[in-house]
Amino acid sequence: MKEAKVQPRSFLIAQLPNPTVFLNAELEVVHASDSLIRAFHFDRKNLFGRRIYEVLPQAPEHLIGVLRRCLEGAETDKGIDRFISSDNSEYWYEYSNTPWYDKGENIIGVILQIVNITDRIKLELDYEKAQILLEAKAVNARIGSWEYNAITGKLTWCDMTRKIHEVPEDFEPNIESAIEFYMEGYSRNTISMAVYKAMESGTHWKEKLKIITASGKELWVVASGKPLYKDGIYVGLIGTIQDVTEVNVSNQRSTESENLLHTVVDNLPLNVYIKDLESKKILVNKSECAYLGVQDASELIGKSDFDLYDQKVAQESRDEDLFVLNNGTPILGKETISVQKNGKVTHFLTSKIPLFDEEQEVYGLLGLSMDISDLKQKEGELRELINVSSQQNKKLVNFAHIVSHNLRSHSANFSMLLDFLANEQDVEERDRILGMLNDASENLLETLENLNEVVAINTNVRLEKKQIRIHRAVHAVQQNLSGFLQTHEGVIHNEIPHDATLQAVPAYLDSILINFITNGIKYRHPDRRPEVRICYEHTGSQAVLVISDNGIGIDLKKYGDKLFGMYKTFHNHPDARGIGLYITKNQIEAMNGRILTCSEVGKGTTFKIYLDEQS
Amino acid sequence: MNKVDTVFIIDDDPITVFGIRKMLMAMEAAEHTESFANGQLAFQKIQQLIETGGHLPEVIFLDINMPIMDGWQFLEAFTKLLCPRPIRINIVTSSIDPYDLQRFEGFKSRTRHLLEYRNKPIKMSDLQEMTRAA
Repeated sequence: MKEAKVQPRSFLIAQLPNPTVFLNAELEVVHASDSLIRAFHFDRKNLFGRRIYEVLPQAPEHLIGVLRRCLEGAETDKGIDRFISSDNSEYWYEYSNTPWYDKGENIIGVILQIVNITDRIKLELDYEKAQILLEAKAVNARIGSWEYNAITGKLTWCDMTRKIHEVPEDFEPNIESAIEFYMEGYSRNTISMAVYKAMESGTHWKEKLKIITASGKELWVVASGKPLYKDGIYVGLIGTIQDVTEVNVSNQRSTESENLLHTVVDNLPLNVYIKDLESKKILVNKSECAYLGVQDASELIGKSDFDLYDQKVAQESRDEDLFVLNNGTPILGKETISVQKNGKVTHFLTSKIPLFDEEQEVYGLLGLSMDISDLKQKEGELRELINVSSQQNKKLVNFAHIVSHNLRSHSANFSMLLDFLANEQDVEERDRILGMLNDASENLLETLENLNEVVAINTNVRLEKKQIRIHRAVHAVQQNLSGFLQTHEGVIHNEIPHDATLQAVPAYLDSILINFITNGIKYRHPDRRPEVRICYEHTGSQAVLVISDNGIGIDLKKYGDKLFGMYKTFHNHPDARGIGLYITKNQIEAMNGRILTCSEVGKGTTFKIYLDEQS
Repeated sequence: MNKVDTVFIIDDDPITVFGIRKMLMAMEAAEHTESFANGQLAFQKIQQLIETGGHLPEVIFLDINMPIMDGWQFLEAFTKLLCPRPIRINIVTSSIDPYDLQRFEGFKSRTRHLLEYRNKPIKMSDLQEMTRAA
């Protein structure tokens, strides 16, 4: 032992790569490797001959116990211990000690090797932490892992993989049973091929597939895997399986609802658009594209109304937009008129609704416009129809009063005369009353015939108009009236050009001509020969037939409003029946024409008949 | 029976004129009856009577729908005449047009003459009142 104590430092020991120290039975330092001196920053002069627990005060106490036991012959011991250095840093050391024998196999001391394993320990700790984190992540993301050892043919599943497959902890998977979890068809084929190819040609895989769990649940999973090599030799497979059912389903739902929204917006029979704060379009639907005559929405995105409409319309629209954007209040159901650059005019029922972001700030507006041009047109037509109907109605009421009046006056006469007859004894007087009854009956018949004629004109409003050569028509009437004209020595001046035509119902035109001609001659001026002049004029789209006579004339101030009334006569003339002009007027109106009268008492009368050229 | 002296009948329908005359005779309601085929003829006669100080009728039967001058035009002209005393005017019509009734109300409120509105036919029972002098 004394030998050992005084033994000089051996160069051999000094050069040992692992920090090593030789201690004698008193646990005093005899030899120390340079690596040890470096590792513990020992002072060379103050090291040798000193007790180990003096030079390593930070060493854990039990180490001394270990060393003493070693001196007593205990077998090699190993341990890891934490040392706290003077600056409070933490070091981890692995130590091993073995008895130091002399030539005679006597224990003369202890050989202690101390390796700083702080870095390794730290790595181990990091690894452990990483494991824990990974596990937590796997649980949260539902990612399980597995490993296949090609040499043993064993497939290992982690807990999460088991959970995903819904199998118990003691379940022993193998490649075949693992593949059978995949749904028959596409999923199973895909995974089989992927595994086969990975084994054969070292490819990776990552596929979204469906599995059916042990309990029969269908799950969407992302299965991935790759081959493992050791020194270039295939040794197995490693991979993960992630349950993405929830993500997939919610993705699918949001895709579905997005598609639905798109379909709805695109197929609404409304023009839908979204504008930004500068009134530039950021979304348009199909109706809006069709209205603005573009094939694709991209042609409208980024454009403002000033690019699409005339200046005035665009400014009005911008003003509306600004109102909505600045006030955050919608405009609903406003009737607007849009004029496109090509001049196309459309009536819209427009709503503009502000759009708010999460901070409740307006970021744009949603516009909805319904094309109501057709409605507008129909509204106009309807109004026109109402006008016509109300006019017709007025005419009808008027006619009803005429009918009622005429029939009542006859029936009143009948009732009165019959009353007389019942009480009359005198034969001669009875005969007289009977004669009057006869007259009354004839009057009634005539009235009915007249009314019939008027009704016929008003019900045959759709009688076909024809292109009539008016000169010839007047000539024919002249021929028909030749007897009448001869009797009254009347003259007709047909001053109509031979080629002049007009659109009229032939029977009505004849009746109109006969009425005006006979009137003009019947109501002749006693001092002169009756003459009727017929001319033709043209104004705008209307043909005008002018019939003037040199008769006695009518005081239009007195009788103007009654001239064409039924049973209105203005002359003390025995032939005046008061029906002719009423019928004439009805016939002209039935052809959508109108009549204008000028007359001067004692000089004559001029009637102007205006008829539309279009049938 | 308060018999009146003169009754004018203004109507273009000879049957109505005949009927009224006959009833008046049967009731012996008037000394004289005179008829006119339109308003103008009657108006001229009345105008002439006023000018000459002749005897005006106490009662007039007036039709509305007549040629030349109808009942309304007659009333328009007649109510402007300076008549020494009020006259009973019975408007006798077969019109049921509310417009005619309105015009009657208009005239009635504007004249001192006694205006009545009757629908045809006239009955004997109505005639007693209609021939009472205004």
